[in-house]
Amino acid sequence: MSQLDWIVLGVSLIGIVAYGLYKSKTTRDLDGYFLSNRTMPWYLVLLSIMGTQASAITFLSAPGQAYTDGMRFVQYYFGLPLAMVLLCITFVPIFHKLKVYTAYEYLENRFDVKTRTLTSFLFLLQRGLSTGISIYAPSIILSSLFGWNIFWTNIVMGGLLIIYTVSGGARAVAYTQQLQFVIIFVGMAVTAYMVVRLLPNGIDFIDTLKVSGRLGKLNVITTGNTDKGFNWNDRYNIWSGIIGGFFLALSYFGTDQSQVGRYLTAKSVSESRIGLLMNGLVKVPMQFLILLVGAMVFTFYQFNQAPLFFNQTQVAIVESSSYKDSLHIIQQRYSSLSAQKKKLVEQFVGDYKSGRNTDQPVTALKQVNKETEKLRSDFKNILEKEDVNGDSNDTNYIFLRFVVDYMPKGLVGLLIAVIFLASWGSIAAALNSLASTTVVDIHKKFVQLDCTEAQDYSISKWYTFAWGIFSIIIAQFAGNMGSLIEAVNVLGSLFYGVILGIFLVAFYMKSIRGNAVFISAILVEIIIILSFVWPWLTKKIPSVIDKMPSFIQHFMEGMANISFLWLNAIGAIGMIVMSFLLQLVLKKRTN
Amino acid sequence: MINMSDEIKEKVPVFRSWNLWYAFVILFLVVLIILFTFFTNYFA
Repeated sequence: MSQLDWIVLGVSLIGIVAYGLYKSKTTRDLDGYFLSNRTMPWYLVLLSIMGTQASAITFLSAPGQAYTDGMRFVQYYFGLPLAMVLLCITFVPIFHKLKVYTAYEYLENRFDVKTRTLTSFLFLLQRGLSTGISIYAPSIILSSLFGWNIFWTNIVMGGLLIIYTVSGGARAVAYTQQLQFVIIFVGMAVTAYMVVRLLPNGIDFIDTLKVSGRLGKLNVITTGNTDKGFNWNDRYNIWSGIIGGFFLALSYFGTDQSQVGRYLTAKSVSESRIGLLMNGLVKVPMQFLILLVGAMVFTFYQFNQAPLFFNQTQVAIVESSSYKDSLHIIQQRYSSLSAQKKKLVEQFVGDYKSGRNTDQPVTALKQVNKETEKLRSDFKNILEKEDVNGDSNDTNYIFLRFVVDYMPKGLVGLLIAVIFLASWGSIAAALNSLASTTVVDIHKKFVQLDCTEAQDYSISKWYTFAWGIFSIIIAQFAGNMGSLIEAVNVLGSLFYGVILGIFLVAFYMKSIRGNAVFISAILVEIIIILSFVWPWLTKKIPSVIDKMPSFIQHFMEGMANISFLWLNAIGAIGMIVMSFLLQLVLKKRTN
Repeated sequence: MINMSDEIKEKVPVFRSWNLWYAFVILFLVVLIILFTFFTNYFA
């Protein structure tokens, strides 16, 4: 990075910390610290909700996802607006009316202490771990690209924000997210403009779309249907997006304290609702635009040679291994194909602009792209060999590699700042929510029942600090997790379905009591986690698995083959059915 | 236990009722999906 980049990065980060401290003034009690005295207008609620959801991973992975798999990832957000509507009808008025600090407080009112504590525990486990990943994910990419020490990158990524999060609580989190969002969008907009500007003369925005569209990258809507029927293992299609995405968004925004804590800061029910509904309106177009940047970067690399592998550290590992010669053969062939690709894409644009038939260059271009992909997978196979043991997923490196290689001085620093700030926005909200749940649902319930307002304020600050340190420690131990945006979503899907199921039973099934819900939650959670680790278990302990009844084996195999997005729906529906049946059994036994 | 039918009386901004807001958000999603379908097909 140049000196100018360092200055831009430093000023942005220090500026945010200073602004967070400046906006830290709040009343010294739980209401002030965790809910900003419930004074926030809808637009700050909206920015806070969006800033909490959009982590660094969103801005790093999404363009890379569009580059490799096309824009169909946007369908994952189709269920979100529907979830916002249901939240506004049910969750928001109840939480506001009860004047709760955390969503889990309501569960004691509705069921009992053990259900509230179990749900809080599931949230703390899931959110604590995923916050660690949220720190590690951008840190490993930046440290790999710039040769920074991962230990210190994790400390800066997860550490500096602790200063204003501990000091100012929810208020500082909301105000800094507002400023962070402005910087993030300026950075992304300038990048999109630069991608088009960097294309050869005479290639405009529409031409860019034509190229990526004909090469299958603008596949925004897909149905998941194959010759053999609907593919349940297909991660992103319109049905998994609307149904699976609906349950995921409902769980995340309705039961995850990192989001509930944002809209509880609103000054009224109306302000909460408008914030959430506006999120439902802007989220899908925003993701569409971020993915479009990735599709444009793909077009850029049709005219310019893309790196064989976007994570150069891994290339260096192979370079120094016994597979060095194989790498050189792959690289030679790759360069020759890239030159062919350039000629073909120019021919395609020429034909298209002069109204000639473009089928021939498109077919040839698709074939060349297929061959380059084959070379990339040959290289990935080398990385996966036991004596190399490299990371064969470079999706998260695509966008930043492009930025570092082609963006002008200053803009690189701004985009690195975007990564830090996006990360800080979601981590700060997570720390605030982890602390509020620990204080309200655990500490004040089991450790210190009677606290003065000053003690509440003080322990809240200490817990925020402690969760910050915990997340950094998790980040230091986080390993190789493939696509990091998916790692966070998979982790969420393992727990969200059950948590959502508990809330849905609470809201809509009045006859079901605490014991039935509590036992069901434990059983369904065990099934969900087992289904996720099933392929691993069948390899590690095949003798134990073989002794199980065949219907269990078939059931678990079926569950293990379902894409993670469906786990939210399965967990929630499983909770509803199991609670209903258990309630019948328990009622009979009581009678 | 809280009763969900106890609607909190607050002025609804922009539209006459919250139901219109909800319909607007859902309609907007439907329009987006239709536009995205055209977008996918047009550039494919």
